[in-house]
Amino acid sequence: MTTPAGHISIKNVTKIFARTDLNSTLVALEGVNMEVRPAEFISIVGTSGCGKSTLLRIIAGLETATFGQAYCDGEPISGTNPKRGLVFQEHSLFPWLSVRDNIAFGLRAAGSYKSGAKLVEGLISIVGLSEFADSYPHQLSGGMRQRVSLVRALVVRPDVLLLDEPLGALDSFTRMNIQDELLKLWNEHKNTMILITHDVDEAIYLSQRIYIMSPRPGRIAREIPLRMSYPRNRGSSEFVGVRNEILRRLDFAKEEQEEYNL
Amino acid sequence: MEALRPRKDNEEVKMTGKTASLPPVPTASGQPLESRAPTPWELRQIEAAPKSKSRAAADRVICALPLFMAAIVLIQYKLTPNLADAATTNIYTGFILLMAFLVLVKFIRSIFSKKSFENLLEKAPLYTAGFLLSALYDYATLKTGILPLPYFPWPDRILNGIYEDRVLLLDCIKNSLILLFSGYFAGAATGLLTGLSAGLSRRVRYWILPMIQILGPIPSTTWLPIILIVAASLFGGSVFLIALGVWYPVTMTSMQGVLNIPKANFEAASILGASKLRLLFGVALPAAMPNIFQGLTQGMSVACTALMVAEMMGVESGLGWYINWQRGWAEFAKMYGAVIVICVTFSVVNFILNFIKRRVLRWQEGQWN
Repeated sequence: MTTPAGHISIKNVTKIFARTDLNSTLVALEGVNMEVRPAEFISIVGTSGCGKSTLLRIIAGLETATFGQAYCDGEPISGTNPKRGLVFQEHSLFPWLSVRDNIAFGLRAAGSYKSGAKLVEGLISIVGLSEFADSYPHQLSGGMRQRVSLVRALVVRPDVLLLDEPLGALDSFTRMNIQDELLKLWNEHKNTMILITHDVDEAIYLSQRIYIMSPRPGRIAREIPLRMSYPRNRGSSEFVGVRNEILRRLDFAKEEQEEYNL
Repeated sequence: MEALRPRKDNEEVKMTGKTASLPPVPTASGQPLESRAPTPWELRQIEAAPKSKSRAAADRVICALPLFMAAIVLIQYKLTPNLADAATTNIYTGFILLMAFLVLVKFIRSIFSKKSFENLLEKAPLYTAGFLLSALYDYATLKTGILPLPYFPWPDRILNGIYEDRVLLLDCIKNSLILLFSGYFAGAATGLLTGLSAGLSRRVRYWILPMIQILGPIPSTTWLPIILIVAASLFGGSVFLIALGVWYPVTMTSMQGVLNIPKANFEAASILGASKLRLLFGVALPAAMPNIFQGLTQGMSVACTALMVAEMMGVESGLGWYINWQRGWAEFAKMYGAVIVICVTFSVVNFILNFIKRRVLRWQEGQWN
């Protein structure tokens, strides 16, 4: 076997956005360092506007860092690559393609649709959408659409899967279902998962490590390793303990900032 | 009928605490649907208020109305005296009989199928009005001369004109369509090319936009006198003229279509490994399709206008030429006949365009239901 791929390394990344309308600039990320091992599942938690999406887009290759550099398997990241898949929050399915063709898009782009047609059908049935394979995105519910997005990103077998609040717009029952599917898919494909979420429970339920980010400018405030075994029980004392700790630390981060501001 | 009532019974089910088993959904034919979900049409039938007996009878009469009116047209044509020395043929009779026969087929189908009954019920007043109009026109021309010759030939005369010149007219249709589509496809293809690339690339837009702003407001037919002199062949010149008219709306709408595409679509595609070519033909083109079809429809009406003008002014074939040529002979019946043929031809062309549009834009939300 080859050495496992999917190592992400962020070295001192700073991202500054230009706000041309205000003729000013905005520091979105400042000095972010992060290491993600192959096949690891990590989450990035933080309040909105803390730059976590920007960080993910830099890893995806959709944005370039102003200072510092992001690396994937030792190579500096420049531009997108099907090795690093991304699942958006919503509205990113191609409305003119059926569920099947949406999922097959990556294979067609790689010119391997013929050999991968079975894989497409298999993934469709894993997420329970066999009946909807020929439906168009507007005919699906929000949960179904996100399942399709997930599978569409997985079909090209990426080493790294970046999840940008993929379940943020869904109701809590659908979320819990898809969270279990996500773990199942992770177990099967053994890829590196980087999840962005503002749902602390989701982060604890899914990941092996949690980064907490503080806003303006976006920085890594804390790194919390989780050693609970899967599947995790949302009601266990350990789970609740970790949640309280994270919430306390999120609050603590705020206190620190307030003190600093005084 | 019981099951067709709006379901207030659901509340009763809850009150008595019975396990909620809904009554079987009835179809239009009264058979339960079993586990199958109703189609939209069946659903409308289920939810519609039941019709009263008198209303149902009135509906049947409305469906038969076009047939009565067709009979009146024929009686009026055959039995009332014509103007002096007006010769008539049986072509008009045949035409009315053919139309009446088509309605009769629909009427017979409506007895057996509820769907075609509703369709006919909706269209019957229009058909009736059509027959009534032709009866009135026939009365005002052939029977009384209120509308005088030669400017207002009666329907039988117009139909005879078309029939006499049928070979020439078919040839004209062929020539017109060849010219129309040569120009249309040339214009649509260039329009797509410039529009898509202007939408995708800022640099192309920089050069294309001023061109559009200057050329756009000029009706393409304005160029005709110049083209007639400069162009090596009249056909080539006319193709250019039509293409120019189509190019403008297609360029505008496809550029706008590309500019309106959400950025997330391009990002998702490039993350999945799409090449530049696939971004153009696999994302930009299909995503801009709704706008592009607006341009293609607009372009078709411009193309038809340009075609007529070109044929009337210079090209020596086609329907526009035919109508102008008959004017020289003061053959009013044949001119009216040509108008009818043009109407039918362009209607068919637009019908086909619409059909393609519906197929291609099937994916659009709530557009075609």
